[in-house]
Amino acid sequence: MNKIQSTNLITEEILPGRSLWADGIRRLRKRPLAMICFVIMILYGGLAVFEFAAELAGWEKASVAHWNEITGPSYQKPFAPYEWIKEDGSKQIRREWFGTDFLGRSTFRRTLYGAKTSITVALCASLISLAIGVPLGAIAGYFRGWIDDLVLWVLSTLDTIPYIVLIMAFAVILRERTVFGLHLRGITAVYLAMGLTSWVGICRLIRGEIIKRKESEYVLAARATGCSNRRIIFRHLLPNVFHIIIINLSLRFVGFIHAEVILSFLGLGETDKPSWGAMIDSARAELARDVWWEMTAATAAIFLLSLALNLFGDALRDCLDPKLRVD
Amino acid sequence: MKKIFRIFNCLSVSALIVGFGGLLFCISCGKQDSDKERQKVIRLPMLTKIQTLDCGNLTDVYSISIASQIFEPLYDYHYLKRPYEIVPLTAEGMPEISEDHLVYTIRIKKGIYFQDDPCFPEGKGRELKADDFVYAIKRIANIKFVSQRWVDWNGRVVGLDEFREFTKSFDKELDVDYSVEVEGLKALNDYTLQLKLVKPWPQLQWNLATVVTSPVAREAVEYYDKEIMYHPVGTGPYKLKIWQQGFFIELERNEKWRTEVYPSEGEPADLEQGYLADAGKPIPFADRAVYRVIEEFQPAWLMFLRGELDVMQVFKDNFSQAVDPATLTATAEMKDRGIRLIIYDDPSIFWVGFNMQDPTLGKNPPLRKAISRAINRQAAVDLFFNGIHKIAYGYLPPGLEEYDPSIVHTDYSKYDPDEARLLLREAEAIHGSSIPSLTMAIPGTGNLDRQMGQFMQKYLADVGLDLKIEYMDWPTYLDELNKGKLQMFFSGASPSIPDSLDMLLAFCSWNWGYGGNHFFYSNPEFDALFRKAEVMFPSPQRTAICRKLERIMLEDYPAAFINHRVAITIVHDWYRNAKPSAFSYNTLKYRSVDPDKRNAYKDLLKELKKKKK
Repeated sequence: MNKIQSTNLITEEILPGRSLWADGIRRLRKRPLAMICFVIMILYGGLAVFEFAAELAGWEKASVAHWNEITGPSYQKPFAPYEWIKEDGSKQIRREWFGTDFLGRSTFRRTLYGAKTSITVALCASLISLAIGVPLGAIAGYFRGWIDDLVLWVLSTLDTIPYIVLIMAFAVILRERTVFGLHLRGITAVYLAMGLTSWVGICRLIRGEIIKRKESEYVLAARATGCSNRRIIFRHLLPNVFHIIIINLSLRFVGFIHAEVILSFLGLGETDKPSWGAMIDSARAELARDVWWEMTAATAAIFLLSLALNLFGDALRDCLDPKLRVD
Repeated sequence: MKKIFRIFNCLSVSALIVGFGGLLFCISCGKQDSDKERQKVIRLPMLTKIQTLDCGNLTDVYSISIASQIFEPLYDYHYLKRPYEIVPLTAEGMPEISEDHLVYTIRIKKGIYFQDDPCFPEGKGRELKADDFVYAIKRIANIKFVSQRWVDWNGRVVGLDEFREFTKSFDKELDVDYSVEVEGLKALNDYTLQLKLVKPWPQLQWNLATVVTSPVAREAVEYYDKEIMYHPVGTGPYKLKIWQQGFFIELERNEKWRTEVYPSEGEPADLEQGYLADAGKPIPFADRAVYRVIEEFQPAWLMFLRGELDVMQVFKDNFSQAVDPATLTATAEMKDRGIRLIIYDDPSIFWVGFNMQDPTLGKNPPLRKAISRAINRQAAVDLFFNGIHKIAYGYLPPGLEEYDPSIVHTDYSKYDPDEARLLLREAEAIHGSSIPSLTMAIPGTGNLDRQMGQFMQKYLADVGLDLKIEYMDWPTYLDELNKGKLQMFFSGASPSIPDSLDMLLAFCSWNWGYGGNHFFYSNPEFDALFRKAEVMFPSPQRTAICRKLERIMLEDYPAAFINHRVAITIVHDWYRNAKPSAFSYNTLKYRSVDPDKRNAYKDLLKELKKKKK
């Protein structure tokens, strides 16, 4: 009797079901700072998509997307009025928000375009590193044995080489090569280099998680019902560690953006189109002639995006990780 | 008690000895430091990596500027006199020339020695002989050596072309039998060299003043083999001490160098400018010279301002800090630091070159013309050279006798984007479709190079051409350029001798690739006229032919010529005798520094900082 009563009590206390993700998003919504960061990220992402679409659709001459247009004399200070003769010969007084560069191009437009370069690189590098790191980590963690040894050996070897040096080496090797008819130059070589070198961290993390979970009851149950190893890994284990992948990705995204900036600064990245790293590199020499706005604009753009990504990533981890969850 | 005192005494004496020893050590160190400070060391920037120091294969000014301090040709340019005057260097006097201008007999100075080097017996440099000149020229002719300077000698000396053919039968450079006699190139005795020419060669004297014709010690080539490019062994005032590739090169005084003195005659203004202050004094003045490879201008500029470099060129981003544009003199800030400017016309030309063998560009004259019309040269000069350089309306630079002043009225360098767009339509019709992306190589990976790349992209994009830029380091660029792998290239040249034919040679069809015709340009009319001019001595007819050659070439648009350089050099006041020379590179021996003034510079900087506060 007592037993029945207690069962009833439990049934009465059960709340409407909520998935890990739904719960995480609910918690995230309660954090205004995280939501502001999310909006900033969306704005940057939207900008990148717009620049990308403008190039695809041939709207390069649309005002904001036309980063290569000469809009004034060289090295005009931000907000300073200047007289400008348009192509049709008419004169006008203009101001540029972030001033102009050595060719008289708008620094503001170039900074906006830089978002596309950085986000494209970070996104592609993330996808490549996930495509390599996640399955490799899952297989190594699940099967162990010689497969695990081999993966660990590759991991440890790559891990001993300083990250930036490794990316630089890959970028130099990949540059100017043609793979499957695709000529690797500019940012293509950069995100390939980053993707091919940065899967180590996520691979190690996933391997650890799979080792931890592979003896869990739901895995044992799946095995008992006759599921294949492939099904267990990809249908049962990986979906259960997906939130870890997302959290890790949001935090690593910043690292990819920084790496792109460093590579462009070192002349290994985008050379034909604006990127924040190339802008900083170019502005470095011009500081001597008091041209500070190009450096400031690129740095501010990187700072804002990095801050938003970091804060949002932290909040996401707090909301999704069951061990860290707080209300 | 006594024992304790004895121990105490021993300790005191030991302490005294140690203390005295330490004091002596400090004094000796201090003396060494002071000696080091007193040493005359010239510190110079090198804007790119050095390719080679093998004097038989020098083509670029950077390598030549170092090698010229180590090797010595027969003749030299007078350091101070202008117009440029040839004077003997390792030769005893001017050559004895036969009436038909076909036989040159040159006597060589006695008592000139190669620098000490392990390649010689017991490491002691031996005396220079006429045979060393013969060997050097035969080595250039040796096909297995693959000298880029063979073009200078091709078809000139009796029997030398046959010797080149003969060398084809050998596998390696060192296997070649140099004892085979060449009729037109002989050492009559240890100190007499004779050259017999196939046809008159009016530029020979100038060529004998270039470092490429310097004597080479056979022992050195055999000892170092392929490594000879890193181990120059010459008779010059300096020898190579350290070459850390990509970082720095250090030269030190060659203690075996003979005694020579600073010239006592020069231009009228030389006395006023202090270039004759050291007249009659023995040279070289400096004990060492350190060239630092600094590919970025900004660090070089900051090092110069800190006093770590004695001299440097003024570039775009430091122009406003260094030069008062109204008067073209040093700014007050520079004058306070004791820094002065030297501005001079440097006969040179810079261009965007087209590879005439490229399937897109080579057979499409309207395309090449369209590119030329699309480039705004005035904007380039204003942006990159602060409006100081001169627009290149043609190819031959002002300063050469054959320069044609009327070239400024031609439209070879006209900026006309509308015409460029029309020409592009014609070009597309010839090509059969729209013009694909073009690729231009720029030597250098620095900020200025990238800005130049963006500038070109911008102006070509304005007329509808897509341009990709490849930034390369200097040795890679030269290698690809010589092999004809570059579609378009940003480049420049200065004449190595004061003769226009030296520059026009860059468009002769027998001179493709390694010889210097990097455009792979070929025009039979040009070639025939060049052959006619090359045997002519200076005359109005020859000048007219040179100008015609220039026009023939310009009509074909093998390049879009951009600008002629006006060099602005900035020097510290401790750096003396910095008279610029357009053709002579072995000027280091005349340069001097005042160590006291240099050492006082840091105090001056502190004072200036205090004043500012």
